[in-house]
Formats: sequence, structure tokens, C-alpha cells
Amino acid sequence: MSGVVNCTLVAIAAMLAASPAPTHHSFTMFDQSKTVTLRGTVKDFRWTNPHVFIQLLVKDAAGNENEWSIEMTSPEHLARAGWWPGTLKPGDKVSIVIHPMHNNVKGGQYLSGTGPNGPLIGAPPATAGQGR
Amino acid sequence: MGAGSSSGLPDWSGQWEIVGVTPSPNGGFDESLDTVLKELQWSPPNKPALQAKIDKVVAAEKKEMAAVLHGSDPGGAVTACTFGYPMVMLDSPLMFEILATPKETVLIFSSREIRHVYTDGRQHPGKDDLWPTPWGDSIGHWEGQTLVIDTIEVTAPSGFENSEGTAVVAFGGIEQMELVTYLSPAARFVERIRMIDKDHLQDQMTIIDPVNFTKPWRLTRTYKRETHIHRMVYEDCEGEDRNPIVNGHFTLSPPPDEAAPQPGAKNAASGRSSPKQ
Repeated sequence: MSGVVNCTLVAIAAMLAASPAPTHHSFTMFDQSKTVTLRGTVKDFRWTNPHVFIQLLVKDAAGNENEWSIEMTSPEHLARAGWWPGTLKPGDKVSIVIHPMHNNVKGGQYLSGTGPNGPLIGAPPATAGQGR
Repeated sequence: MGAGSSSGLPDWSGQWEIVGVTPSPNGGFDESLDTVLKELQWSPPNKPALQAKIDKVVAAEKKEMAAVLHGSDPGGAVTACTFGYPMVMLDSPLMFEILATPKETVLIFSSREIRHVYTDGRQHPGKDDLWPTPWGDSIGHWEGQTLVIDTIEVTAPSGFENSEGTAVVAFGGIEQMELVTYLSPAARFVERIRMIDKDHLQDQMTIIDPVNFTKPWRLTRTYKRETHIHRMVYEDCEGEDRNPIVNGHFTLSPPPDEAAPQPGAKNAASGRSSPKQ
């Protein structure tokens, strides 16, 4: 997916005073200039409105395990992009690319992710048209 | 879904989305503003007085956007998903289903907004019995396989009222949010919806607003049928407390672990008390 307009929701939010276009939440707490790759183990995949979260256990350089909260878009949007509640399960080993938080909280905005063997997580099935 | 062949109505079953707004997992979309404008044929025939008001709004919005981008303003967030009509048809990221029956066609959006289009020959209510809503009052009829809809009495959704009236916004790029125009309560909408191939619907909309426009404004939007899902997924914008504003900035507060809910327990990521579900 192109990143051309990945700040669309932020933009819509700023238009609230003048427009009817609603949005979820601002993404300004994420540092759009930084990209971080996290490799870890899924603790929980919280499929909930308004935003879905991946809780990821990641070991730091000292070997300490930290829990990261990775925010995604809504279940409705994720389903259309190929994700479902069962896409990730606790214990899954994944690599997740994020924009980290500005304030050093261990969290970030989901950008992309791959499973243990490299395939994209959540990609729509090749058998498009059969539904699920 | 769909009326089936016995009724003679077209099969519009499945989930539909505006072409170009397939969401990305990070919250973005793949449609550029240029594409939006080309598709919409964006050229609202604003009267000069309206244009002057729009220019002021645009200037204020640009200032606010700059503050958001520089972090001095957390930006807005809402607690409802209502787009209202006509935005829900023109530039919404929400998918929808269409239930076509001989007497009524219903458009059901993932935000639970619903458009009722009565096709049983009734007219709009009389003037004394009309009242404005975010979706207006719609009646329609079939011309072959084309659904023709007439909509009146549209007002801005709750929470979005402003002195300019109902807004139509073209969005697609963060720097070009100035593309907005306003409709008066007198606006009338005529839509012609039809299949242009087996997986695409097209809505040709004409907005007639003698108060704000110098002439009717004709727009077009195309919708594609989702191919890899076959059920609606509920969209809910509520949950502001998932992203609390701390020191003027949004931060994270993911939902609590439902497997082991601990009311009042501190959230691991933010240190906040877990919000109620």
C-alpha cells in the first residue's frame, strides 16, 4: 500500500471545525520521521474498535523483555486490507515495522509486518472472490 | 443480499467501497487527492459570497493543520462515525452494503449509518412534515437497471454543524485539505446509480443548490465490490480514551487484556488506569 496519503486521518481530524468528515484519532503522537523494526513474540492481538493493537514482547540489548503496544487502524479497515481476529495469535514470532512514539513510551504506529518465514502478515488471500 | 432475478432488480450484493480508499493497516489510503478530484469532477459552482467564506475557512484550517503537524495541537478526534449524506457517498472510507427490494432500497454503512430509498411511488413528505437529518429524505425509482434517487432536507451530522451549512470535502492528501464547499438546507440531490461492469457501481450525482451555487454541480463516484471478504465489519469511532491527551499530545492506551481483566489495574504501556470497555 502506498504511503502517499497515510496521514489522511490526521488531515481529516484537522478539518472537524469545517467538515463532516469524522476520523478516529490523531497519529501525531508517532514520530513520522523515524522507522523502527521490532522483532518479538506476540503477547496479544487485541481486535477492538476503534483501533486494533498488537502487544509485542521484545527483548532489548540487555536481554530484558519489554512489552510494546503497536496501534493499527480499525477492524473494519483491517478486514478490507486482509486482516482478521485470527491473523495473529499469542506466541507468533513476528517482525513489525513501526513509527515509534515521540515520548519514548514503548509503542508505535503499525506500518508493516512479516511472519517467521518472511511472508507479509494479513495480506488478502490469493483466492480473491471466495470470501472467508 | 440483492433482490435476485425474480424481482428483475440488479444483484448489488456484497460489500462496496469507494474506488481508491482501500485502507492500509496503518490507517492510510491509496488514493491521491488528484485522483479524488478527477473522479469527483471537482468544480463546485460556488457563488462569490460563498467562495469568500470558504477562503476564510481554508485559511483557518491551514493554520490548524500546521499546528497539528508541528505538534502544538493534538488534532481532533470524534466519538461518532457519522459522515452524513452526501459525504458518505462521495469521499468516505467506510464500506457499505445495498439491499434492493421492489419497495425500498437500503444502503447500510459499516458505521451503521443507513440510507432508506423508497421506491414504492411515494412522494417526499409535505413541507410542514419535513425535517432535516444528516441523510435527508430519499425517494427513488428504477429506470431499467439504474436506480434514480431524489434526496432533500439534508443537514450536517451532529457535532459538525457550522454556520456554512452541510460540507462536501475532497480529501486525499494532507497538504490539500482546502477543497471544501458548503451546501445550503435548500440543496436537492439527484443520483443515478448503476453497474458499469460486474464489480463496479457508479453514482452520478447532481447537486442543485440555488442558494449557494450558480448552477447544478455534477459529480461522479465509483464503487468496487470487495473481493476477499463477504461480511460487514462494524466500525466504531468511540473510544477516545484509548488515545488520551497528555500534556497536549495524544498518547497510547491500548484496551485491557480481556483474558484477564483487572479493573483499575495500571496499563503496562502507558501507566494509566485501563479504560472501561
